[in-house]
Amino acid sequence: MDCKHIRNFSIIAHIDHGKSTLADRLLERTGTVEKRQLKEQMLDDMELERQRGITIKARAVRMEYRHAGEVYELNLIDTPGHVDFHYEVSRSLACCEGAVLLVDAFQGVEAQTVANAYAAINLDLAIVPVINKVDLVHARVDDVLLEMEQSLAIDSAEVIKASAKTGVGIDDLLAAIIERIPPPKGDPHAILRALIFDSHYDSYRGAITYVRVIDGTITKGQKIRFLETSTTHDVLELGQFVPQRRACETLSAGQVGYLVCNIKDVKQVHIGDTVTIPGDQAAAPMPGYKPPQRMVYCGLYPSEGENFEELRDALEKLVINDPSFEYAPESSEALGFGFRCGFLGLLHMEIIQQRLEKEADLDLVQTAPNVTYRIKKTTGETIEITNPQDVPDTGQIDEFLQPIVRTNFLVPVEQIGPVMQLCTDRRGVYLKTEYLSPTRAMLTFDLPLAEVIYDLHDRLKSVTRGYGTMDYELIGYFPADLVRLDILVGGKPVDALSIICDRRDADRRGRAIVKKLRGEIDRHMFEIALQAAIGTKVIARETISAMRKNVTAKCYGGDISRKKKLWAKQKEGKKRMKSIGSVDIPQKAFMAVLDTGTDRQ
Amino acid sequence: MGQPRHAYVHVPFCRHRCGYCDFTLVAGRDDLIDRYYAALGRELERVSPEPPATAGSPGLELDTLYLGGGTPSHLGPAGLRRLFGLLHERLHPVAGAEVTVEANPLDVTADFLAAAADCGVTRVSLGGQSLDAMTLRALDRDHAPDDVRRAAGLLLADGFSVSVDLMTAAPGQSLAAVEKDLDAVVGLGPQHVSVYCLTWEKGTSFESQRRKGLLQPAEESLERQMYETAIDRLGTGGYEHYEVSNFAKPGARCRHNEAYWDCRPWEAFGPGAARFDGRTRITNHRATTTWMNKVLVGDDFSGDVDAMTAEDAARERVVVGLRRRDGLDREAFMDASGFTLDALAGNAIASWTDRGLATDDGRRVRLTHAGLLVSDALWADILK
Ligand SMILES: Nc1nc2c(ncn2[C@@H]2O[C@H](COP(=O)(O)OP(=O)(O)OP(=O)(O)O)[C@@H](O)[C@H]2O)c(=O)[nH]1
Ligand code: SF4
Ligand SMILES: [Mg+2]
Repeated sequence: MDCKHIRNFSIIAHIDHGKSTLADRLLERTGTVEKRQLKEQMLDDMELERQRGITIKARAVRMEYRHAGEVYELNLIDTPGHVDFHYEVSRSLACCEGAVLLVDAFQGVEAQTVANAYAAINLDLAIVPVINKVDLVHARVDDVLLEMEQSLAIDSAEVIKASAKTGVGIDDLLAAIIERIPPPKGDPHAILRALIFDSHYDSYRGAITYVRVIDGTITKGQKIRFLETSTTHDVLELGQFVPQRRACETLSAGQVGYLVCNIKDVKQVHIGDTVTIPGDQAAAPMPGYKPPQRMVYCGLYPSEGENFEELRDALEKLVINDPSFEYAPESSEALGFGFRCGFLGLLHMEIIQQRLEKEADLDLVQTAPNVTYRIKKTTGETIEITNPQDVPDTGQIDEFLQPIVRTNFLVPVEQIGPVMQLCTDRRGVYLKTEYLSPTRAMLTFDLPLAEVIYDLHDRLKSVTRGYGTMDYELIGYFPADLVRLDILVGGKPVDALSIICDRRDADRRGRAIVKKLRGEIDRHMFEIALQAAIGTKVIARETISAMRKNVTAKCYGGDISRKKKLWAKQKEGKKRMKSIGSVDIPQKAFMAVLDTGTDRQ
Repeated sequence: MGQPRHAYVHVPFCRHRCGYCDFTLVAGRDDLIDRYYAALGRELERVSPEPPATAGSPGLELDTLYLGGGTPSHLGPAGLRRLFGLLHERLHPVAGAEVTVEANPLDVTADFLAAAADCGVTRVSLGGQSLDAMTLRALDRDHAPDDVRRAAGLLLADGFSVSVDLMTAAPGQSLAAVEKDLDAVVGLGPQHVSVYCLTWEKGTSFESQRRKGLLQPAEESLERQMYETAIDRLGTGGYEHYEVSNFAKPGARCRHNEAYWDCRPWEAFGPGAARFDGRTRITNHRATTTWMNKVLVGDDFSGDVDAMTAEDAARERVVVGLRRRDGLDREAFMDASGFTLDALAGNAIASWTDRGLATDDGRRVRLTHAGLLVSDALWADILK
């Protein structure tokens, strides 16, 4: 296939604006998938994606389409809309010459619409703007056109009106993709240069790498070299996604596909790496991807201590499919050996934990998430803190800094007041308000990342009845009056329960946490004191009174079998606990410290 | 293990269902009683297909026979005679055997006592529950305090060994009310007393009222006080506390229940009845009508089957053994189970003694008062 007849594009949008549904229509219209095999959001084929109804992983598909008498190869990448998976979007965009930007005809321009559109514009991609869901009774096409123009300078005349549900506008869209997106520029005869933009581990075939060929041609059976990891491999199979893997003989400049090289050592695969030929003729490495900024960290521990190695294995395999999280071994007195992991957000954290549990059949204990802090020590040295345990003694701290994010809120104008309140309650610094249309405005605040991460999104949704969205970007680390709050159970500090918080919030959070813990920990045969402390100063206390009576009265003939089942259940429950001293703490209690006692006045 | 020398027969009929009760029974369905006799007769054929008389044997020789329910006394004097007629075809309580029948105080009449005596009944367990009118109403019972006094008086006068059941932690019951009940029972002077703390079982009307907030369970600390009071007062009254819920005058322990706690094999007949051969416990189908229908058409009528390895059975023996106040004797345990107590429970026992929950003199392990009170929380350490 010559480059002139190839078009590579991503579909980008805010969450739920209909990207995957639009992809369904394109697969259908181009005959890539037969109608009877088509399912709704068919590219969302990971179990978690189907359960949650959202896209988590970007998916590439090759389609063929006849336009003006010629056959074109269209490589589509469906991307996720949730901000936590933005790294998937940016990696996809780097393989494309264009982007289809969807905007929901009712929701209008939302925070990720703007963020993703700018990501594409900054890479000089051709944008094909689409208003989707025009079939909705409450579609407000004219308003949305105005919002697109105000926020992104998109010319209303260029916007295609479509419905991924009914199929309206799909032919127009396909024509626009071919006419407005430039073909890739590469030279199929030049020296091989391809970008690894994704990969996954297959237990039979090893690591499978997903590539976009920039220059040259890859042929089955040839030798290739990964520059970053300096390893050479035989191409056992190569092919394209239609949307399942379909083998072919060659992939040449401009094309998107996969390589199977029987790579069992996942450390040899590096997303963003350059693929070329071995020897001194090799192409120069491309810049690859900038690692994403991890926003939250938490500890992940196998709930059975002996599964540590299995967890390491599972992390190694998962990270080649999702390079946006990172992990490093750590240990905790309470939880044993595990990993401190960094994620792009709380949803990302939850998804990774669930994928690890499902894909590797592990049972994990997770500690409460925190952001990264910096501490300037009195010695002049600056350290990064991703685990509250690493906070040095107060005497050694010169300055305690926290990450601040510039946060844009896209909200209906009548909810500006409540959103302002929400931000000031969280020590936000107001910057500006811009009106995108008579009904929608963009507010900008600088806020501590910790405040944004934990519950701001949920609170925003609730004060704007679901219509407000937000997007944020790290602007730097600034000094704050921060303290480490320790939690003591039965007089013993439990390292995995410590948090870092603003001194002014410490009382409130300390009280909320010990109260929450009281509900999570079962009564024991002795009284258990729960305390929150800053240094040696106890600021909140609760007690779990001792079990007073727990004895089955009747234990005759048939009762025994039944009672044994009850006792065995208690035993099962006990297995999923961590013992600190002689106190059994259920695994989910380690998340109790997330309770911020949000009922702030 | 040899032939079982103990048998339980379940009689699943009551006049009405008490609000807290989740036992296997049907209330107000006396029309099913004939079918029950027929089914029970068929199930008894498990002992021997031919009537033993034909085979020239007395049937299964028993040291104890226990008729529980439901309310066996609900069958009435004639019904009781008919039931024993069936039982005696295949079950043969030996001389000196303990034969217990559970009875509702209202059913205890001169005729009933005559029938019981004729049938060889030696012991009557009286479902008294309380001697306080308010508590009885709260428990949804159909008898009055005087019925209990009258029934106990008649039984004792006729020379039956008598046990009285008492309930604590009934909705609204005060500690003072429990104290009065205990004193009243001690005053009646039965040989045996069982004290049960009310439990809130799934599917009962009490439980659904609790969920709607109409009934409130007693506080755990009150339950504990009531239980401790029972242990104290019955002790002072001359009753020895010999198992979690059971108290007896010297020599008057329930031999049948002791067989359960010794893990000896026993037979059992009727819906929801569980039998044990030393390893496996088979519980008959719990629904009365299902059990009847299955038995009568010759289908398998067993429900739950708890098949244990020798070790499982030994672990179970630790639990039921420690619920007895005598505790476990290492040597006797080894002889009966084939395992040393310490191999199965050594670590647990050591940790309990450290925490004051058990005592161990090297031969015998007993739970302390403190250990007994929270003993359910200990068994997770023992059961596999
Ligand atoms: N009425 C109507 N509903 C649509 C249309 N397109 C998508 N939807 C619905 O919008 C919801 C979200 O669709 P998806 O295709 O999963 O959205 P998405 O943009 O892929 O979502 P993420 O990948 O999670 O960001 C689904 O319930 C779709 O059925 C449309 O044109 N009209
Ligand atoms: S009399 Fe006894 S068995 Fe019958 S319903 Fe009442 S509590 Fe249950
Ligand atoms: Mg999607």
